[in-house]
Amino acid sequence: MDKKTFLYEEQEKLNAKLIPFAGWLMPVSYTSIIEEHNAVRNNVGLFDVSHMGEVFISGKDSLNFLQKLVPQDVSKLKKNKAVYCQLTNKEGCIIDDLIIYKLNEPDKEYLLIVNASRIDEDLNWMVRNSLGFDVNIVNDSHNYSLLAIQGPKASLLVEKLGMKQESQPEYFSIKRGEVANINVLVARTGYTGEDGFEILVKNPYSAYLWDKILEEGKEFNIMPIGLGARDTLRLEAALHLYGNDLDETITPVEAGLAWSVAKDKEEDYNGKEVIMGQIEGKIKKKKKLIGFEMVDKVPARHGYEIFIDGKKAGIVTSGGPSPVLKKNIGLGYLNLDDDTTLNTMQKTIGTNIQIMIRNKLYDAKIVKRPFIEKRYKKENV
Amino acid sequence: MTEQERKVPEGILCSNTHEWVLEEGSTCTIGLTDYAVEQLGDVVFVELPEIGSEFTKNEVFATIESVKAASEIYMPVGGKVVEVNEELINSPEIINEDPYEKGWLIKIESETLADDTVGLLEYEDYKEEVA
Repeated sequence: MDKKTFLYEEQEKLNAKLIPFAGWLMPVSYTSIIEEHNAVRNNVGLFDVSHMGEVFISGKDSLNFLQKLVPQDVSKLKKNKAVYCQLTNKEGCIIDDLIIYKLNEPDKEYLLIVNASRIDEDLNWMVRNSLGFDVNIVNDSHNYSLLAIQGPKASLLVEKLGMKQESQPEYFSIKRGEVANINVLVARTGYTGEDGFEILVKNPYSAYLWDKILEEGKEFNIMPIGLGARDTLRLEAALHLYGNDLDETITPVEAGLAWSVAKDKEEDYNGKEVIMGQIEGKIKKKKKLIGFEMVDKVPARHGYEIFIDGKKAGIVTSGGPSPVLKKNIGLGYLNLDDDTTLNTMQKTIGTNIQIMIRNKLYDAKIVKRPFIEKRYKKENV
Repeated sequence: MTEQERKVPEGILCSNTHEWVLEEGSTCTIGLTDYAVEQLGDVVFVELPEIGSEFTKNEVFATIESVKAASEIYMPVGGKVVEVNEELINSPEIINEDPYEKGWLIKIESETLADDTVGLLEYEDYKEEVA
C-alpha cells in the first residue's frame, strides 16, 4: 500500500494524476507536464515533495560524524548554510545524494534532506558508521511535509506570504521564520535550476499552507507542479536523479560532481582514497557523465545504449524532451574501461554519438551541461 | 461529456489497449482513444509504420512518446497500411488536441476485419469499461 502525503486530499481536489513513486502515491501531473514546466520557468510553481526524507543529526560529535560520511567539508558550513553532498561508501560510490543544512538548534544541529527511495539505506549506513560517535540520528520524515516554491516569481510570492525579500534566506541558506503565519524552515534550495524555496512544515499545517500558497500565488499565475515536470525541469538543469544518474557503482568524480568535493579536506571519509585518487588522476575513472542532445527528433530514455562509431560506448541514464529547448536531451555515461580513444579524448563536447532506440541507431551529439542556464539568485553570496 | 467525447465518430470500435478503428468504405482509420490520450499526457513524438507494411491484430505498429515515456500502440484489427498521418511527425501534439479527427494515426486495408472486430467494444461500452 502506497503512502499518502498530508497533501493528498488537496491534490485530489485539483484532479492530479497520481502514481506510485518510491512507496508514495504522488502527483505526476495536474494539467500538462509541459504547461507545468513552463509555469516554473516563466512564473512560479508549487510542488509537494513531502516524500523526501528529513533526518536530524545532533550530539557533540555531529560534525565529526558527518565529516566521515561525505566528501564535502562540513566544517566549513556556517550556521544557516547548506551544502550539496553525497553519502559515499567505502569504494567511493554514491549511496545517496543529499543537502546538509546547518541549523544549530537544540536536537537539530544539522538537517539532512535525502531521497525518498533511499531513506532506509541512508539510515542503515549512518547507524553503521555511528559507532564511537556521540551522535543522535533522528529520522523525522513522517512528521514533516516539504513544499517547494520554484520559479522567477518565487521570491515575490514568499514576500506576499509574509517574509520580506530582504529577510529571505540567501541562495543555499536556510532560516526559521513565518510563512503565512506558520512557523517553518525556509531554505533557498530546489531542484529546477530556478530561484526558489523549499519549505519544511509540520504535517498538521501543510494543507493550510499549500492552499494559502496557491491562493496568494494566483496573481503570479502559480500552478501546482507534479513529478513529471519536476523531472523535465531538473533534467534541463542537468541535476542528477538518484537511481537514474547516480547509484552505488558510480563515484562523485565519474558523475561530474568533482566540483562539489572538498579537495583540501583533512579528515578521512568513506571512499576518500578512490575519490581523491580519481581527482588526482592516480586512479582511473570507469566512466564519465555526459550530456547530449538528439540530432534526430526521437527522445532517448533511461537504459538505452550509446554508440560511438558503431561501437557500444555507454548508456543513457536520463532522457526526454526539453520543453524550453524544444529538443530531446539526456544524460548518460560513457565507459572508460578499455576504449583508448575515449580515454585519450581531452574534450568530449561536440562529439557525435548514436543512441539505440527500438533497434535503430539515431544521431545525437555531446553538449555542455546544464542544457539551460541556471537562474539562481546568487548576488548576495 | 468532454469536448473530445462529443467528437467521437459514429461507429468506432475500441480495443482494450485503447486504440479505435473506424471502417470507412474500403479502408479503416485507426487512432487512440481520448482515454488513452488523457493517460499519456503531452505527446512529443510519434513513430509511424511505413506505407505498405502489414500487421496482424494486436501487433505493435507505432510508438508514441509522451514527455515521460514511450508507449507501444497495437493494431485493433490486422491489415496493410495505406496511409499514415504525416501531420503528426512535426506536430505530435495534435493527438492530444483531437484524437478522433485530426489526430488519427494510420489508414489500413483489412481483409480480416470481420474476424478481427470480434471482441472490440462500441465506444459507450468501452467508456464504461475504462471509467
